[in-house]
Amino acid sequence: MPYFGSEETVKELKRALSNPHVQADRLRYKNYITKVIRYMTQGLDVSALFMDMVKASATVDIVQKKLVYLYMCTYASDKPDLALLAINTLRKDCADPNPMVRGLALRNMCNFRMPGMPEYIEQPIVAGLRDKASYVRRVAVLGCAKMHSLQPNTDIDGSIVNELYALLRDPDPVVVVNCLRALEEILKDEGGVVINKPIAHHLLNRMKDLDSWAQSEVLTFLLRYRPRSDDELFDILSLLDAFLQSAHAHVAVATLRLFLHLASAHPAVQADALLRTSAPLLATCGAASRELRFAGLCHVQQVMRSQPGLFATHYKRFFCGYSEPSYIKFRKMEILVELVNDENVALVLEELRSYCTDVSPELAQAAIAAIGRIARTYSEKCLDILTGLLALKQDHITSAVTQTFRDLVWFCPQSTAAVCQTVEACVDNPQDSEGKQALLWLLGEHGEQISSAPYVMEGYIDGLKTELSSAVKMELLSASVKMFLCRPAETQDMLGRLLHYCIEEESDMCVRDRALLYYRLLQRGVEETRKVVTGPKSDPSMSVLTGRQEEPISLWASTFNTLGPLSGWDLCLQTAVISASEPSGSAENELLPGSTDVALSSPNDTQEEISLSLGPPLSHETFEKMWLDLEILHRQTLGFPRPKTASDTLQAALQLVKIQTLAFTPGDAVPWKAYLYTRGTGTLILAELLQEVPEAPDSEGSLVVSVKQHPKNQQTIRGFVLILKSVLQTLNVDPL
Amino acid sequence: MSASAVFVLDLKGKVLICRNYKGDVDMSEIDHFFNLLMQQEEEGLVCPVMSHGSVHFLWIKHSNLYLVATTNKNSNASLVYAFLYKLVEVFTEYFKELEEESIQDNFVVVYELLDELMDFGFPQTTDSKILQEYITQQGNKLEVAKTKVPTTVTNAVSWRSEGIKYKKNEVFIDVIESINVLVNANGSVMSSDIVGSIKLKTMLSGMPELRLGLNDRVLFALTGRDKGKTVTMEDVKFHQCVRLSRFESDRTISFIPPDGESELMSYRINTHVKPLIWIESVIEKFSHSRVEIMVKAKGQFKKQSVANNVEIRVPVPSDADSPKFKTSTGHAKYVPEKNWVVWSIKSFPGGKEFLMRAHFGLPSVENDEKEGKPPITVKFEIPYFTVSGIQVRYMKIIEKSGYQALPWVRYITQSGDYQLRTNN
Repeated sequence: MPYFGSEETVKELKRALSNPHVQADRLRYKNYITKVIRYMTQGLDVSALFMDMVKASATVDIVQKKLVYLYMCTYASDKPDLALLAINTLRKDCADPNPMVRGLALRNMCNFRMPGMPEYIEQPIVAGLRDKASYVRRVAVLGCAKMHSLQPNTDIDGSIVNELYALLRDPDPVVVVNCLRALEEILKDEGGVVINKPIAHHLLNRMKDLDSWAQSEVLTFLLRYRPRSDDELFDILSLLDAFLQSAHAHVAVATLRLFLHLASAHPAVQADALLRTSAPLLATCGAASRELRFAGLCHVQQVMRSQPGLFATHYKRFFCGYSEPSYIKFRKMEILVELVNDENVALVLEELRSYCTDVSPELAQAAIAAIGRIARTYSEKCLDILTGLLALKQDHITSAVTQTFRDLVWFCPQSTAAVCQTVEACVDNPQDSEGKQALLWLLGEHGEQISSAPYVMEGYIDGLKTELSSAVKMELLSASVKMFLCRPAETQDMLGRLLHYCIEEESDMCVRDRALLYYRLLQRGVEETRKVVTGPKSDPSMSVLTGRQEEPISLWASTFNTLGPLSGWDLCLQTAVISASEPSGSAENELLPGSTDVALSSPNDTQEEISLSLGPPLSHETFEKMWLDLEILHRQTLGFPRPKTASDTLQAALQLVKIQTLAFTPGDAVPWKAYLYTRGTGTLILAELLQEVPEAPDSEGSLVVSVKQHPKNQQTIRGFVLILKSVLQTLNVDPL
Repeated sequence: MSASAVFVLDLKGKVLICRNYKGDVDMSEIDHFFNLLMQQEEEGLVCPVMSHGSVHFLWIKHSNLYLVATTNKNSNASLVYAFLYKLVEVFTEYFKELEEESIQDNFVVVYELLDELMDFGFPQTTDSKILQEYITQQGNKLEVAKTKVPTTVTNAVSWRSEGIKYKKNEVFIDVIESINVLVNANGSVMSSDIVGSIKLKTMLSGMPELRLGLNDRVLFALTGRDKGKTVTMEDVKFHQCVRLSRFESDRTISFIPPDGESELMSYRINTHVKPLIWIESVIEKFSHSRVEIMVKAKGQFKKQSVANNVEIRVPVPSDADSPKFKTSTGHAKYVPEKNWVVWSIKSFPGGKEFLMRAHFGLPSVENDEKEGKPPITVKFEIPYFTVSGIQVRYMKIIEKSGYQALPWVRYITQSGDYQLRTNN
């Protein structure tokens, strides 16, 4: 944030700092230094003062030293040559008799993020590791990790690693934990710090000396350890028992995770651990801090995937408070829906009903949807409430109730008659497009049970010109055709008008195409149309009857107590992937969305929509350079050969979905290659399609796609591959 | 854990102060934070975790500040939140109030603290008592001599320094129970529980060993004694100084206390408690003309006890005007900025019943904005009384120098989250 007069300010400061009178007066000198730091904090570039600041570091005043060090760390990477000058002072301070100064100097020296540092800091770090003050040792241990992060590609220094392993026996608990943290960083490529039996037992015995942060982390590290025998396992579990009830939620939850992991072969132990942690978890759900409360709720949800009944008696704890933020209320409602049973259903519904009239429309709609979910089991009570809500004549409520009705009829066919009655009697026309779609679907699907259906539909057809949403128009087309099939006399005329309008006057191509499709279908005869248009009227999987499956604990245990459960993604799938590929539970190092290939090809991800765009064209040179710089993030065999279409057809087809073809092998030569690029959700995606020489002469071989991306975003890649695949498949099928 | 960097932002999203701990996330990523937040706020879907590309923001809000931690790993979320709250706690102890102004006024100390609290993304020394021993607010004074490492930084007992001296050795024990109640509009109690905490103010010399005896039902059952009233505590949590293993084995609470004020333990009791102050309310709203409020408050506790500083907050519509009150005791005041009436009663004896009536005018032009239905909330304090009946039976203090020390015990019951929903 450079602002007017900033150069002047810097000059003035420079003058003051180099003024011998100021330097002689310690207090004034220090005030000027403070001023420099203040400007730096405000975002002013004061790096021009580097030389003067380096001089100021030679002082006995520890606060002044800290300020100067802070300054140097901030600007070291911009002025590496000048920063080198400061190193001598720092190295001298590393030998100061005062351990505070030694620690401070060492820490800051390690924070200089610039090339060439390691050779200067190595010796002080090694000395620091053997310092008699634990304060310095703490700093030195993390210094090793910092040094490694400065030169990530060099070989690991075995002697330092050994020294760190030895320091795991240090009397100071923070040194011990810092050693683990540092080793984890240094040995990242080799799978992190190794926890063998002596180390594991040593750590377990030290647990009670550690502070809560350290306990939490050590518990996570212990996930690596596999006890040799059941006896050892149970010894460990009983040692850790007390921590299940720790005052710190994060320790209790970390202990639970370790319990679940260690006892994976003993379901009874796991169940017992879950039962005993339910109290601390519940307490977290009522924590003073909203964020911790939120984290607690997310973890309760995870536990409930395996033990749906665990919190049933505590359902009242999940009633929403008036002032709670909506992200907490949403989670609480989701939990309440899961907890409903015969005893509490009345109270839960009463509570949920009071949320339906909340000021926030999002919350009200979520509450209505929640009642809809409960209606799948307790339809009568819920339908009464939902019908009552319609009487309020609030647009957003009517719309949400209509949508809930639609879902209910789909999942729970036995409630159809009641719903149809209510729809006929009470539903005013919803105003938003989701509500309209839901109503139209109901009318189309169950038109024979709603006597007024054609008249409602006619209203929509007459108002077609003013309708903006094409989704509503499409739904209207489908619904009218379905209605025509069951009540032809009343519908024929308006259907004709509707089709005429959509084909002749509609500007949206999708709507027009849909209308044409129906038109041609109807030309083939009613029976033919019926065969195509009508499908099952309710969810064929009968998921309501079978109920919610209790999932095995191992499905979610590996992401328990990480960021995963908190972020919006539904992690069911990713957890499965992570636990399959990383049995050691080191999900910590995973990027959030499952970043393994298995997740990419899974069919469940098709709902995720990404929008690709072409953006500015990429030159061949830039493409080549980026292709060489980036690494392959995803490679997949598509399982079919390249389309045998002309190359310009391919190019045009890809362009339709906003994928640009940069270059490809001409003709039918093998190996055949094509380079593509596109942009999506703020990232640039580069891809190569390759068809190798087939192994058997008469087989065709399969296409392999390799994708590179900058910056990384797995979801986008997933979307991209899906799109690419469907385009290529379509081209393959088309007998052009 | 591993937070890459910690930022303190003002309400407009400007970075007030930041600290780059790991250097593996670009510091300019924070620019996306505020945009994301605004976007989510518009959609009404704010979430304490936000992601931009591979960077995750974990944030909390405190007064007029956002505290944000960035990470690019799948780190332990609750640990990061706990750390951010620890930051708030430490800063508050230093500056009394943590807000934009205090950050700007004390940026030197903030930098010093950020430096000690975390290194390379890992929490280091976070105990504010210990930090206060070597980071002082008199940063501007020139002190040369006092730069010794405090013993606590290297001590085995990390929460207490050695060599503490008091002329008079005393411990003050406060047993505080907060009542959380949620009553729905029909007057039925939806949920109620007691959250208790035992706080200490320790003024003891040396390294004393303390042992606390409570009328804990599990302990009494263990020792085969069952006379007198006992209490079943759930969800007991202790300060780190308490030896958990001993509590687990024989329910003894033994510890070396931190100096000064600290919370020794907390517990929860999930029994059904009768709401101590019961409120019945009738709020009648006549559109375009007036609101009539009638509130009846009844003390449902022992006659000998007295509730002090009772405050009953009754919500009123935001466009109400010209308030008129009538109370049988205490006085009522309209607080327009909070849209409520506060009826305060200095002392409220048990078993008594009081009444308040309020009358407000409403404008003839109706407010278009819909309003929520805030509940009536009640605040009170009842001294010399605990709802659960918990008692401190003894406090033994043993120090190797053998001094005599006195424990003082005080009981208090107060309102926690005490809400009664209204019909209107």
